[in-house]
Amino acid sequence: MLSHSEASEKFIADGPRTDWHDETLWFVRSKRDKASHVLPEWEALREHASQIKDHTLANLSSYLQEFEAKAQANGIHIHWAADAAEHNAIVHQIIVNQGVKVLVKSKSMLTEECHLNDYLAERGIEAVDTDLGERIVQFRKEVPSHIVLPAIHLKKEDVGETFHQFLGTPKGNKDPQFLTEAARQHLRGHFLASEVAITGVNFAIAETGEFVVCTNEGNADMGAHLAKVHIACMGIEKIIPRREDLAVFLRLLARSATGQSITTYSSHFAKPREGQEMHIVLLDNGRTRQLADPKYKNSLKCIRCAACFNTCPVYRRSGGHSYHQPVAGPIGSILAPNVDKRANADLPFASTLCGSCTNVCPVKINIHEQLWFWRQDLMAAGLAPVGKSAGMKLMAYVLAHPQIYRLGGLLMRRFSGLLNNRFNPWYKQREMPVAPKDSFQTWYQKR
Amino acid sequence: MSVRDQILGKIGFQTDIKHPGTFVGASTDFDFKTSVEVNGARVCSLAELDVLYPVRTRFEKTLDGLLLEEVEVLEIDSAFGVAENGAIWLTEENLPHRVAPFICQHLVIFVADIVPTMHQAYERLGDLKSGFGLFLAGPSKTADIEQSLVVGAHGARSLTVVVG
Repeated sequence: MLSHSEASEKFIADGPRTDWHDETLWFVRSKRDKASHVLPEWEALREHASQIKDHTLANLSSYLQEFEAKAQANGIHIHWAADAAEHNAIVHQIIVNQGVKVLVKSKSMLTEECHLNDYLAERGIEAVDTDLGERIVQFRKEVPSHIVLPAIHLKKEDVGETFHQFLGTPKGNKDPQFLTEAARQHLRGHFLASEVAITGVNFAIAETGEFVVCTNEGNADMGAHLAKVHIACMGIEKIIPRREDLAVFLRLLARSATGQSITTYSSHFAKPREGQEMHIVLLDNGRTRQLADPKYKNSLKCIRCAACFNTCPVYRRSGGHSYHQPVAGPIGSILAPNVDKRANADLPFASTLCGSCTNVCPVKINIHEQLWFWRQDLMAAGLAPVGKSAGMKLMAYVLAHPQIYRLGGLLMRRFSGLLNNRFNPWYKQREMPVAPKDSFQTWYQKR
Repeated sequence: MSVRDQILGKIGFQTDIKHPGTFVGASTDFDFKTSVEVNGARVCSLAELDVLYPVRTRFEKTLDGLLLEEVEVLEIDSAFGVAENGAIWLTEENLPHRVAPFICQHLVIFVADIVPTMHQAYERLGDLKSGFGLFLAGPSKTADIEQSLVVGAHGARSLTVVVG
């Protein structure tokens, strides 16, 4: 597996495409600014949302139990899964009970986290992703590169080519309107035929036992309302206490994500419809561990708006796939090391620590501080990239030995090629200033 | 011990962090019609609607959502609209079937009442219990191909709102 910096190098090799990616996401960020500035109470809303989430996480156990009891009273089946394997096995069993081989699935980053599609495919079951962006990347055997805009790494030419190959659209046709219509017709067939639908969950309300799913396309609803069985998969952190809390979160979510004042559809599922079976799978997969660590606990407040992706100068110029995780960007970089420190040790370093993520986060997660905490933990655990820890050690040694420091300074002033060469990654894209003849110390002593 | 109890057992408690309560201080200066139009929907009068869609269907309650696939223009009533974002609250009591507002080609909704923001919307819902309800804000849309906005992704291709 490539590290973030290695994968980024590949991504930025295509200059014009990198610029396009950068500018497009910045445009989404500026739409977020515009939408938030309309509301004078924006900062108060963020603070309120943050407090609701803090309160919920502090009382998560009782809210989960309240949610479970209310949902069961509403006729919904509740399942608990400790990890991805258990989650997948539960979902698989429900599907097997129905005896179906094909099902529809709307966007759920949690099922990406569990690699549900692969798990089902290995058992002869095809999960058809119905979000347009997700369907595009599924055809291409890729994964989403952004949690809200799954195909943002692709250009319309790429989509045209993919649809030509899989849906038989005319070669060379790259008109978004035409391609979307082709996907509509193709997926409508699946919606009408499917007996099982899987959706994610944006919010689950303890007070009422209902859950809310937000989409712009309507794909979650098309699947769920036509299927005989609806399976909703959620992390245990999706709980909020009261229905009225939704007002705060729905006002923040779409404005932060795309600059819309609300998503087109915000659907509240409380009971299965007549004759339907409804299941909710509650997943832990490391969340309780994260919750128990005061440093990282509040990363679980995340509502997956991706504002931190769009604003991040590193994400915008390295692309989502460089993060080798279903949830990329700044928030992904603080969530992933909790699940697997070693495999994700590069991610907390994929940041400039500029703090822009923290500034736009609608639930006030201190993302950049947690990136910095992770760096310390990873260094302490000996998991930092070799070059980085070796460099740090050398630096510490030199700084602790004034004579070596002076000698080093002298050598570098005289022979600038020692630093300014192709082995120094910092030098690659930069012009170094000319070194002064004397050190500061010599200059100071002369005066 | 069950998986459930194991998960719940790992979660600690902190009772001193209070819920902040109901949000106060929301601005209320919003125009419903403007918001509806921003969402890509159309606002018109009953007379204009008759010219636009002389033939509309008011579908009976049904358990078979697939029947609605044939419906070209579906007409439904709603509880209320929200001025800040043009969203309209619908419950399954308003609908012939839960899938109705998604599966029809074109949707017409009558809105009798308007509240300023989502806060008043949920206040108005109170503890009203419905098996399924939604805020619907405009026609189905996507921008998944190069961020180009396309209306008519999977759900209704157009939304027409009649106020009053």
